[in-house]
Amino acid sequence: MKKQLLTLVAAVGLALGGGMVQAADTVKIGLMAPLTGSWASEGQGMKKIVELLAEQQNAKGGVLGKKIEVVTEDDGGDARTASLAAQRLTTKGVATVVGTYGSAVTEASQNIYDEAGIPQIANGSTAIRLTEKGLKKFFRTAPRDDEQGRMAAQTIEKLGFKKVAILHDSSAYAKGLADEANALLKKKGTEVVFFDALTPKESDYTAILTKLKGAGPDVVLFTGYYPEAGLLLKQKKGMNWNVPFIGGDANNNADLIKIAGKAAEGFYFLSPPQPQDLDTADAKAFLTDYQKKYNELPPSIWAVLAGDGFRVMVAGIAGAKSTDATKIADYLHKDLKNFSGLSGPIAFDAKGDREGEVYRVYKVDADGKFVMQKL
Amino acid sequence: MEEFLQQLTNGLAVGGIYALIALGYTMVYGVLKLINFAHGDLFTYGAYLGLTLLTSLALTDRVGFALGVLVLVLMVMGLVAILGAMLERAAYRPLRESPRLSAVVSALGASIFLQNTLMLVYGARFQVYPDEILPAATLDVFGLYIPLMRVLIVLASVAMMVALYLFIQKTRIGTAIRAAAIDQSAARLMGIDVNRVILLVFLLGPALGGAAGLMVGLYYGQVNFTMGWVYGMKAFTAAILGGIGNIPGAMVGGLLLGVIEALGAAYVSIAWKDAIAFCVLILILIVRPTGLLGERVADKI
Amino acid sequence: MNRAAWLGTGSCAALFAVAPLFLNTYQVDVLNSIGLYALLALSLNLILGEAGLFNMGHAAFYAMGAYTAAILNTRYQIPILWTLPFSGLAAGLFALAVARPVVHLRGDYLLIVTIGVGEIVRIALVNDVFGITGGANGIFGISRPRLFGWVIRRPEEFFYLIWGFVGLTIFLFLRLKQSRFGRALNYLREDEVAAEGSGINTDHYKLAAFGLGAAWAGMAGTLFAAKMTIISPESFNFWESVVLFMIVILGGAGSIPGVLLAAFLVVGLPELFREFAGARMLVFGLVMMVMMVIRPQGLLPTRGRHFSLAARVKETGR
Repeated sequence: MKKQLLTLVAAVGLALGGGMVQAADTVKIGLMAPLTGSWASEGQGMKKIVELLAEQQNAKGGVLGKKIEVVTEDDGGDARTASLAAQRLTTKGVATVVGTYGSAVTEASQNIYDEAGIPQIANGSTAIRLTEKGLKKFFRTAPRDDEQGRMAAQTIEKLGFKKVAILHDSSAYAKGLADEANALLKKKGTEVVFFDALTPKESDYTAILTKLKGAGPDVVLFTGYYPEAGLLLKQKKGMNWNVPFIGGDANNNADLIKIAGKAAEGFYFLSPPQPQDLDTADAKAFLTDYQKKYNELPPSIWAVLAGDGFRVMVAGIAGAKSTDATKIADYLHKDLKNFSGLSGPIAFDAKGDREGEVYRVYKVDADGKFVMQKL
Repeated sequence: MEEFLQQLTNGLAVGGIYALIALGYTMVYGVLKLINFAHGDLFTYGAYLGLTLLTSLALTDRVGFALGVLVLVLMVMGLVAILGAMLERAAYRPLRESPRLSAVVSALGASIFLQNTLMLVYGARFQVYPDEILPAATLDVFGLYIPLMRVLIVLASVAMMVALYLFIQKTRIGTAIRAAAIDQSAARLMGIDVNRVILLVFLLGPALGGAAGLMVGLYYGQVNFTMGWVYGMKAFTAAILGGIGNIPGAMVGGLLLGVIEALGAAYVSIAWKDAIAFCVLILILIVRPTGLLGERVADKI
Repeated sequence: MNRAAWLGTGSCAALFAVAPLFLNTYQVDVLNSIGLYALLALSLNLILGEAGLFNMGHAAFYAMGAYTAAILNTRYQIPILWTLPFSGLAAGLFALAVARPVVHLRGDYLLIVTIGVGEIVRIALVNDVFGITGGANGIFGISRPRLFGWVIRRPEEFFYLIWGFVGLTIFLFLRLKQSRFGRALNYLREDEVAAEGSGINTDHYKLAAFGLGAAWAGMAGTLFAAKMTIISPESFNFWESVVLFMIVILGGAGSIPGVLLAAFLVVGLPELFREFAGARMLVFGLVMMVMMVIRPQGLLPTRGRHFSLAARVKETGR
């Protein structure tokens, strides 16, 4: 029996060792994404976009005169798998890493990359504390929750709502955003009449909507994700309740419209600008190419932000003229200014956060299109 | 009071779905003493197959809404039933003489397999039923909001449950199922083909689960490949609450669980809703260790 | 065990101990993950395997330990390894408290109750119960463990900490299995009524199994917290309990070598299947099913205890 154990250990060891040897004729960029698990749709979108961009970059001659090779690892959307995925990427000789989506998942990998000296650029992780740790090689294309909370409170104020109900889904992201907005709204004297969390992944939210309605708000701020937002909108309409909803940036997903149908009309949400709304040549070219290759629009802004992470890293390697981690990080901190991203101009502050106002307000029109608002 | 009644109907609508899925757990358990953890995924398959058939055959356009949905329900029930029987053959029959928990692990493996197969075939994105297939009429009963579809769903679930109950209680085959549940070897001695009974149970349970999946898809419009875990766990809880192995128990348990959840969310806390439901379950089990309608089994010596 | 077996085991252990020298960080970290799950599965084995109590909420006890350690460490600056006994105690006492009223429930009813306890604990953590668990964010900034002035940081260092603890656990649990306590649990599992008839206080033994298994899971939680330096409720969800349950049954309930082997498979295989990318969990599910069908008693089921009369006569000289 011990022999079986031993064989197994050896087998696991051997198999895990595959792919260790690498030649230096390519520049490897790691992508850590949730390819399985409950965020699989985001992760698969990230993979599609990064692969397309790498293909294009290689057609243009790659970077530093070498081809780019994307090494993708599945983080399963959970912290433990992510730490293993990160360890695995560090052994594969990647120059930089793009990813990942969830904040807690990114956090589990941050120290591993930092200790291995690999610059990391997260695409969906908005939790404030990720960039408050003083990690010199960590960046993110996603804006921060406090920024969004500020924007949410400001939008509610500008639209003239007085009684606000806040609903989150207990995830770190949604709770953080809800807390930020709640504190700011209270400070400004706006009445918050309801603050609670739904359970994600269910289908029936009428019990919650009934309770919400009882609180009598004139706007509902929902800080969770698009599947629940879609159902809430749909079931709200079924109840003949016409209260406006404002959503956080996790609602910028084309599937929201598929789920809610007509009921999505009039829904506001905050988000970094979509490539559709930018007039830069990069964004336009990216959109056409993406549609040509995959025959659909990019699934969500977060996948696009992973694409931006990839482009930023390529720019960093090209700008630093090296794959040396410190040089890349220095370049991104100091020299990368007004980079033409697929989600608006990109520059990083000393913490690795994006500089400038990233958020825009969107509203869903009668045809289910996301229309950028001027407020 | 009005809000209370509204929440009650909200709870009953959800509970009806739980009950329908719970029947599958309870029937399999009754005969095999096996918790079929893949049952929730069969429910998901019902929802996905329903979507594919609905969009590819366009039944509701061809033969009208009522007939179209009826045909669709029957097709989905048939297909999921076949899937259930295949599952039994592949994952459970080889383990029938083994320790009970081995079959549980096999079921969990099957569940992971079924779920990820769906993800690979349909992709990980949410799948959405075509909008506005269902008539969106809302009944206004004394100021309560009750969509017509909800009433129909509850009625359909109850009808299926009653039909099943009568089938089990009144027909010869139903008697055979009950006999096999009480004592397999005695049933075999009485000339009952226990293998066929088990096959039948694995056709009936998944058929009902598949129907529930289709109803969820039609009514809520949104399905995803992991929904079987959420609904499966709720339905399993419902089956235990009512006393697992007991068919009326599954119905009562399902409806009750739906109501507990709705009222818990309304009057205690939405965020703690599931915890409240589990607390109530544990309290009930402390008082009645075999569930509400479960038989009190004395230990055999 | 005879001399050859001892020799074999010893050389395997020695080989395993030098493994980090030949493996890269990722591989060592996979072994660490396996070690943690082995530890947890061994503790669950005590409850589920030895005493036959259906427990599918083991993550609750694991979480109790991890959170106790994290809270003591971040709030009161108690070195993380010093929190081990407290974590064990907290998890064990919690298990006793929740198991007391339900331990007499029959198999599947106990199963759902433990699932319920696991979910209640997770929901309580998410909702920041008592304001000390940090909600969905969890607790971060847990300090690295320090052993005799040596800060344990790299996976290679954790390897020795975790597998050292696994080794100690195996030794203790093997002793326990042979003891009067272990035999009483097995009796209980095989025939509760007969056990009670033979004067075994069944409720007492069941509770003891629950308490001890939970305490051990709690200590494993401490190691987990120390290794990750951040813990959040999602690390202790229902799926974790299911994985542990699968490890114990797949290995062969009550079999310590079986549980170890199964930990290697259940945690290691999804890593091996990374080549399949999006299909890796599909393959994993299929493999679980097939393995169970091929070996319904578990991979390495326990054999009945054998006592050779002849050997005993020779030994005692009678």
